[in-house]
Amino acid sequence: MFKNLILRDIKLAYYTSANFIFTASFFTLIMILIPFVFGINIIDLKFIFEGLIWIGITLALLLTLDRIFSSDFNDGNLDIILGLGLSYELITLAKMIAVWVINCLPIIFVMPFISFIFGYNFYEILPIGFNLFLGSIGMTATAIAISSLTLGLKRMIYLKSIIILPLYIPFIIFGVDAGSWPIVFALSMISLVLLMFIVPYSLRLYGE
Amino acid sequence: MISKLSSSLFEKSHSYNSFLIFATLTSFLVGLYYSLIASPPDIIQGNSMRIMYIHVPAAWLSLMIYSLLAFSCVLWFILRNPLLSLIGQSLAPIGATFTLIALITGSIWGKPTWGTWWAWDSRLTSMLILFFLYLAYILLWKSVSNKDTASKIAAALGIIGFINIPIIKFSVDWWNTLHQPATISKLSAPSLDITMLVPLMIMMLASMFFLLTLFLIRMRIYIIEQKITRLVKTK
Repeated sequence: MFKNLILRDIKLAYYTSANFIFTASFFTLIMILIPFVFGINIIDLKFIFEGLIWIGITLALLLTLDRIFSSDFNDGNLDIILGLGLSYELITLAKMIAVWVINCLPIIFVMPFISFIFGYNFYEILPIGFNLFLGSIGMTATAIAISSLTLGLKRMIYLKSIIILPLYIPFIIFGVDAGSWPIVFALSMISLVLLMFIVPYSLRLYGE
Repeated sequence: MISKLSSSLFEKSHSYNSFLIFATLTSFLVGLYYSLIASPPDIIQGNSMRIMYIHVPAAWLSLMIYSLLAFSCVLWFILRNPLLSLIGQSLAPIGATFTLIALITGSIWGKPTWGTWWAWDSRLTSMLILFFLYLAYILLWKSVSNKDTASKIAAALGIIGFINIPIIKFSVDWWNTLHQPATISKLSAPSLDITMLVPLMIMMLASMFFLLTLFLIRMRIYIIEQKITRLVKTK
């Protein structure tokens, strides 16, 4: 049941709006904008690229906010999922895994390929990618928690963004410095724990 | 029961209103006299240091108000008293204003002492983020029309923000730093002279009175508003 719930979300994303391709190409396009803004000096670009990865993943996650629970809520599938008999914590975990696979995995996968254009070699990219992997878990957890809290409210995308962006600042600060991966890991674990409290709470709120 | 008792408590606070306004005004006058005229200028910074008498109380109160707000959110989860969400609702704009005052006065103070209006320093940045946390809380109340739902979301958001403030503070501390370390918090031996500490304390008291006055007025307005809507519904 748990596995099916994850697969359902992933298949739905694949068949309806091709989310894998969308997030990856959105991220790539943002990165391609960098030379147009900052010029084509490869040494400057290398310095800027490392930070802008985090801007890219933040924007990509902000775009998905309206889809995380809202589409299920609007077509009534959320009630069926809640009625399956699974505990709300397991549903949260399934949602977390699905959203991470749909929105963050393509970015982590595509990031090394873009970084080659910016003059990185494989060994330089490895710690950055690892940090991105750790940070994206926590950022996804935060996004899910906030979008579950504002579930059922119409046109809340700006409010959600205003709530979420301050919460992303610690991830970005520690994420940019590849040496501080233990702290990014700790932050992600904290947000995962909070996720396990907040999402069941808000699901109960709307399940009633 | 608790709700009825405390709401009548807030309504009775009406009779203390004139006293509180009087106390606010007199303490501000005394505090401003001591801080602007009676206290000596700083040896290094000169008269520009006097901005501190506005800046420091505002900064303290902005943090204190957020703690109170988060505490009311925690209590809301335990007691489910609708009055507690009103407390948060009336505290948030006051806190946001104090944060803004601290930011603006800090920026004015920064020009003569650091040479810039704004530095990307840890304390300034975390205060700016605190301002946006307040703003998110206020906008939530504004944009959610169903007040019952809004109070449930706002309680969770207040607690999330409170957990996040130390994390932001800690992260930004690592990121960059220029601001001087806290001078007053060392209780044993404050590095501030007594002639400056006394006006600062008076200003702090004045700001506290100001906060209390505004808070009670806003609470009364919200309670009356709720009573009116209840009356309209029954009719």
